[in-house]
Amino acid sequence: MRKIYAGLAWIIAGGVVVQAAAIAFAFGGVLNRVSNGDVVDKALLESGGAGGTGELGFWIHGIVGGGVIPLLAVALLVGSFFVRVRGAKLWAAITLGLVALQVTLGFSITDMPYLGLIHGANALAIVVAAVIAALRIRGERISRTPAEEATSDAVAA
Amino acid sequence: MPSRRELLRRAAIGVAVTTALGAGALAWSSTLLGEYSVMTMGVGHSGDTHAGYDGHAEHGTSRPGASAASGTAGDASDVDVTSLAADPDRPADVRVELVARQDTVEVSGGHPIEGYTVNGMSPGPELRARQGDLVEVALVNESVADGATLHWHGIDVPNAADGVAGITQDAVPVGGRHVYRFEATDAGTYWYHSHQVSHEQVEGGLLGAIIIEPASPADTAAGLEATALLHVYGGQHTLNGRVADERVDASPGETVRVRVINTDQGTAAVWSAAPFRVLATDGHEVNEPTDVDGQRLLIPAGGRADVAVQAPPGGEAARLHVGGARSILIGDPEASVPPAARQPSETLDLLAYGTQTPLSFDPATPERSFDYVIARRFGLIDGRPGNFWTINGRMFPDVPMFHVSEGDVVVMRIVNDSGDVHPMHLHGHHIVVLSRDGVAASGSPWWVDSLDVHPGESYEIAFVADNPGIWSDHCHTLGHAVDGLVAHVMYEGVSTPFTINGAAGNRPE
Repeated sequence: MRKIYAGLAWIIAGGVVVQAAAIAFAFGGVLNRVSNGDVVDKALLESGGAGGTGELGFWIHGIVGGGVIPLLAVALLVGSFFVRVRGAKLWAAITLGLVALQVTLGFSITDMPYLGLIHGANALAIVVAAVIAALRIRGERISRTPAEEATSDAVAA
Repeated sequence: MPSRRELLRRAAIGVAVTTALGAGALAWSSTLLGEYSVMTMGVGHSGDTHAGYDGHAEHGTSRPGASAASGTAGDASDVDVTSLAADPDRPADVRVELVARQDTVEVSGGHPIEGYTVNGMSPGPELRARQGDLVEVALVNESVADGATLHWHGIDVPNAADGVAGITQDAVPVGGRHVYRFEATDAGTYWYHSHQVSHEQVEGGLLGAIIIEPASPADTAAGLEATALLHVYGGQHTLNGRVADERVDASPGETVRVRVINTDQGTAAVWSAAPFRVLATDGHEVNEPTDVDGQRLLIPAGGRADVAVQAPPGGEAARLHVGGARSILIGDPEASVPPAARQPSETLDLLAYGTQTPLSFDPATPERSFDYVIARRFGLIDGRPGNFWTINGRMFPDVPMFHVSEGDVVVMRIVNDSGDVHPMHLHGHHIVVLSRDGVAASGSPWWVDSLDVHPGESYEIAFVADNPGIWSDHCHTLGHAVDGLVAHVMYEGVSTPFTINGAAGNRPE
């Protein structure tokens, strides 16, 4: 279970990297289209294809950000109840909270572009939270003795 | 050997996980729609302002069980939607056959896409009728696998001719044929499109323009006119099906009426370096339109606008930008191409455009008053998870059913509490905008059938319930309708024998 927990946390952190890469790819595609004389307007946005070469980037960003990472974050929190590691629940909960905030921000950017500033910064916060969660396991593995195991659950999330 | 305590712990976890999974599966399966009738949909909502309470009225108010989804909902005394038709004995003045095919669309000037054609082309042929004509169109489905229909967007047709699969007809299967008959009552610019799996079929090109010419040419109407049907085919912006700008041959000083039709999923901007006038919105003339200078006109998805542009008196050409990518050049066909004009950031406010004139009805004392509040949240629709639209806080299919009686004056407050713009389209009626964000309309009566409601905006609109039937009232960014942004206006005593998701495979959105 510890391996699964740590694995989930690392995948979430990695997922954020994928998100950053995908959205940069997508906007590269948009700029490339525009510089080739194409026009990006609401009609094109709504019918897909605004990203040109980078269109896949929008898809990845939407699916990974709107589906994969939130599900992994829920799984991480569920998993945290089965690993008796100090702080596992807390950091899983923080990760999920930040992911929930991130998704909400993502869906609100069109209406309020300034939220994009928080969206970008919050992405880094998710990486940090997920990495801390993953490192709880490693830290415990090094310092833990069997006697400590029974009491480690006393730290509630 | 694990300790007893450990065994107990594992057993507890097992029970908890099983219970959670079971509850989850039950919750998931409860969202499955199966076959259903719109008759049984939604939360009953009479909106009766005289009764003082708008709750659960005379009609079915609770969600149905499977028994109601057999397509027999409604009382025997009810009027069937199929009987709400144009005079069957009246001979047709305009008779057309349209053949729908699932086909490769050859996009002139661009690359071909897999989509749909009407009579071998997309957009389909432009239909023309004169005001008062009885129009009869036979739709033949030659190869559209999912079935197809034709909806007459913006024309207040009798309900039987509305073309919504699963509400007013069954989708026409391959090899099938369906006849639409309606009187062309209001002159103006309209379009037709499939209302079966519409988010795919409309995007794929199963559409065309229909123009109803006035019985007697109006004074404001220019002699010259041009249609500008906008559509994006596989990422390619087209004007009348071509990836190219168009020229309209006009003498110096001559005025051209450009009929802009936005068949896309998002708002289209129209602007020009030279002043232009908005003659009509959604097939309704603007009273005393004035010059629009330094502003852009925004046309909602599904909406139309007739714009008057004058050819420059000096013999050059004027450029009218229609949508972001295409233009119409008006004037001497040999003239050099005028440079593109920068899109103005200021938008023409139709709430205060033209001159006020009394309405044909009094919206101050409506018989019905409804709310249509749009928001968004995570959930399941038909077993599919997603971030879906809600209407009045409820998710499809628990959206409101707006019950009306014939003759009612209906006022509706449309509020957008979501982050996206929604082009709201009511079938079978034209609505007049009363106010936006509490500011009363001060221009020409702003009649529309497709109205962009931007995030945070609140519109108060009104219409007269003068066309009995069951009418969709949905977002015309069609992917939003798939994601639950669709409700219905239902007239008292009307019922439909058609169902959605049944054997006929009706999927209107």
